[in-house]
Amino acid sequence: MRFLPHTERDRSRMLETIGVSGMRDLFADIPADLHIEPGSLDMPDALHEAGIIRKFTQAAEQNRHAGNTRCFLGGGTYHHFVPAVVDYVIGRGEFLTAYTPYQPEISQGTLQALFEFQTMIARLLGMEVCNASMYDAATSVAEAALMARRVTRRERVVLAGSVNPRYRTVTHNYLSRISGSSVDVPCSGFATDVDAVVEAIDGETACVIVQYPDFYGSVYDLASVRAACDAAGALMVVAFSDATAFALIEAPGSLGADICVGSGQALGIPMGYGGPQLGLFACKKKHVRQMPGRVCGMTHDARDRRGFVLTLSTREQHIRREKATSNICSNQGLMCTAAAAYMSLMGDAGLATVARRSAAALSRLVSGLPDHVRAASGPRFNETVLSFADGDSRDHFLAGAEGCDIFAGIPLERIDPKAEACHLLVATTEMIEAEDIADYHAALEAVR
Amino acid sequence: MSEHYSGTHGLQHEEPLVFERAHEESVSIHLPGVEGDLPDDLTSFARREAAGIPGLSEPETVRHFVRLSQWNHGIETGFYPLGSCTMKYNPRVNETLARLPGLAQLHPDQPEHTVQGILALLYELQEWLGEIAGLPHVTLQPAAGAHGELTGLMLIRAALAAKGEGYRTKVLVPDSAHGTNPASASLCGMETVELKSGDDGRMDIDVLKAHLDDDVAALMLTNPNTAGMFESDIVEICRLVHEAGGFVYGDGANLNALVGIAKAGDMGIDCLHINVHKTFSTPHGGGGPGGGPVVVNETLAPYLPVPRIEKGDDGYRLLHDDDQSIGPVLGSIGQSGVLLRAAAYIAAFGREHLHKIAEDAVLNANYVLARLKDAYHVPFPGLCKHECLLTDEIQNRHGIKTLDIAKRLIDLGFHPMTVYFPLIVHGAMLIEPTETESKETLDAFCEAMLEIAAASEAGDTEDMHAAPLLPIRSRLDETGAARKPILVWTEEES
Repeated sequence: MRFLPHTERDRSRMLETIGVSGMRDLFADIPADLHIEPGSLDMPDALHEAGIIRKFTQAAEQNRHAGNTRCFLGGGTYHHFVPAVVDYVIGRGEFLTAYTPYQPEISQGTLQALFEFQTMIARLLGMEVCNASMYDAATSVAEAALMARRVTRRERVVLAGSVNPRYRTVTHNYLSRISGSSVDVPCSGFATDVDAVVEAIDGETACVIVQYPDFYGSVYDLASVRAACDAAGALMVVAFSDATAFALIEAPGSLGADICVGSGQALGIPMGYGGPQLGLFACKKKHVRQMPGRVCGMTHDARDRRGFVLTLSTREQHIRREKATSNICSNQGLMCTAAAAYMSLMGDAGLATVARRSAAALSRLVSGLPDHVRAASGPRFNETVLSFADGDSRDHFLAGAEGCDIFAGIPLERIDPKAEACHLLVATTEMIEAEDIADYHAALEAVR
Repeated sequence: MSEHYSGTHGLQHEEPLVFERAHEESVSIHLPGVEGDLPDDLTSFARREAAGIPGLSEPETVRHFVRLSQWNHGIETGFYPLGSCTMKYNPRVNETLARLPGLAQLHPDQPEHTVQGILALLYELQEWLGEIAGLPHVTLQPAAGAHGELTGLMLIRAALAAKGEGYRTKVLVPDSAHGTNPASASLCGMETVELKSGDDGRMDIDVLKAHLDDDVAALMLTNPNTAGMFESDIVEICRLVHEAGGFVYGDGANLNALVGIAKAGDMGIDCLHINVHKTFSTPHGGGGPGGGPVVVNETLAPYLPVPRIEKGDDGYRLLHDDDQSIGPVLGSIGQSGVLLRAAAYIAAFGREHLHKIAEDAVLNANYVLARLKDAYHVPFPGLCKHECLLTDEIQNRHGIKTLDIAKRLIDLGFHPMTVYFPLIVHGAMLIEPTETESKETLDAFCEAMLEIAAASEAGDTEDMHAAPLLPIRSRLDETGAARKPILVWTEEES
């Protein structure tokens, strides 16, 4: 077995040192009736490396992927360009095969990368501090709700109905087993109903969670939500799906977010059929001791040289156990390194280009729509909802577009079960070229 | 160090923060996409001030991160005997496979007929995990072990509620457990009761019995436990908990000792999470991503999270809605890229070799134990499973603590073991070699440990208190870091 270095001679010498006569003696403490016959598992025989490559390649070839199609799918996951350098960096064995940096003297690479990641994310989001990541956006939103409850010592959580339904479902799920309540505020017209959100904030409210740009891509003013939070003593949590947005539009921190959470997948991480994702979590500095998750801090060593360590660990499960701020242990460390490498390479200018072209593609797509399809009104970043006369005409178009190598959008009810089955959630990135948009329009014309 | 040259130790380079390397403005990067005027209603929201993200050229970026990588120790660099972490070799071919465009470049909401290949691989992985654990119903959704614990406890609460026993919220957790166990219980709205371990490091059946009452929802148990000992009374333990109306949650962090040897389901465990980043060798990545699939028996199966992968006559599909389900615990079906690597690891061993993972892992741990047991205090003598537990009791007499031993190991060329865990012994050193280490490596590690013990005995301890002396940084001021946290860089910090 190629991953096992021992020869049979090694094994017998080692057994001799241990003082047992055979391998099975090492398992003598397991009751005999629990032992299963070696090789008796109901599984396929071992594959050699060539066989595994063949198996996975054949499986991969059964799928259609963003590399050979035009991907207009979003809903929390976006097909942005990932420079080869990003993948090279996280493929380095020293980053890839390291553990959580508990021994800082020999983990300065991971730690400095995390510190750079935290700084860049905080800057991009306009927030004061940021942790070293959560699993994904949905669990980040849930953890933000829990954190807001700790900070305010209140138990009511208000969620705008325009927050990605998946983030809301996971959040309600996390909150449903502890005391307190969580409420969704209905939205209308595929945009955030700010007045209704403001209306729902009361003196018992720990936080209001809004998404900006919202699930439908709508960009709107958060000032009245901020004012209502101030009046009620509630925290404003701002969620987001595509972090590149904040290279173009005002960052959540500048709009007064107390906690800002969302997905960092857009920052150099392939879509990966759902993961590994990257959950981002930032907050105001004064709340940092209620923040969940790993965080890296700057310090110095015994010879007064700058260095980095995991810090504020007294918040965490391995120290505080049942009183910890969260149960989270593993983060998405490697994805943080990917995002750090991506942002280092892109810089303000590159990120702005990504965001501008993502938005420009949507604008071009929407402005050229034939009149049997209607786009949601109001300002949008890189995502919107297209409405068809009925489900049949939408599905007819989807099938036709797929025939032209276009994934034209996500049936809205797939993510938002309450939605009528005639809408399409459509997203664009810098990977969409003018020709792709022209083909999209042509596919729409073809089913008029 | 010169201000002008970075080489300080041969060609070991100092490397500034990326912000200190940055130019006044970003180097331009050539990107795809369409340009065009943006609508006024959007530009009215324009960001006023740039974020301050560096923007280095490609060669500078590569050099920056490659230098940082060289300050790291990884399993590819050397031995990494962290107990309870299962740091084993991560096959390179798995990296290649996970990056195939037909697997990595898939959007999670593509129509299901365009993703049949990946669904087939993931479905097969579910079947394998179920078979290995003897618990046939599986969710791949949890993103890490702790996330799996939360999911499992949610399932248990759902099953209890369905029986009209929602009032059961007490979770029994041995004092040797991982901190995530009680933390997960709290997150799930349950109360933890800590069970004191017996003198032999195993669960004390009488202590368990004393806590079994009508409020008990579950016992969370790691087996082998975190002292590396198999809970030989496991069948009796499960029977007692079931009799009292509770469930047994298995923390699968230590599954590496049991793969292909014994099944959790046969022991009576109802629900188990599997850390694929431990047992099935997906890379730890400096803290993650991980994967914590949960496997359960018939009783808990109806409550598994959605979406679920189902196999039908016309292929695979995702089931998004199910009334009995606890609902989703993640925004996607799971960390597919991680799960694919785990599937590849299992496929390489297959039916005939899987048990050799556990055999060589347990052999290696016992070999290290046998070589070190005279020089170090062994709190619970006898055979261990995949990891062995030592303490600093002997060295402490000479003023040498576990931390000193760990740091001295670094100077001798080894990553330290897990220190000060489990909490049930003073000065714990938990060593887990895994199956992918050679005898030569284990011997070299043991020699280093024996050298430290001998130096301690001889009072030759100066190097130990100051260790590590050789890495790019010596001991770091962690207290200062926590007291006055600096979590982001500002120009004033330079």
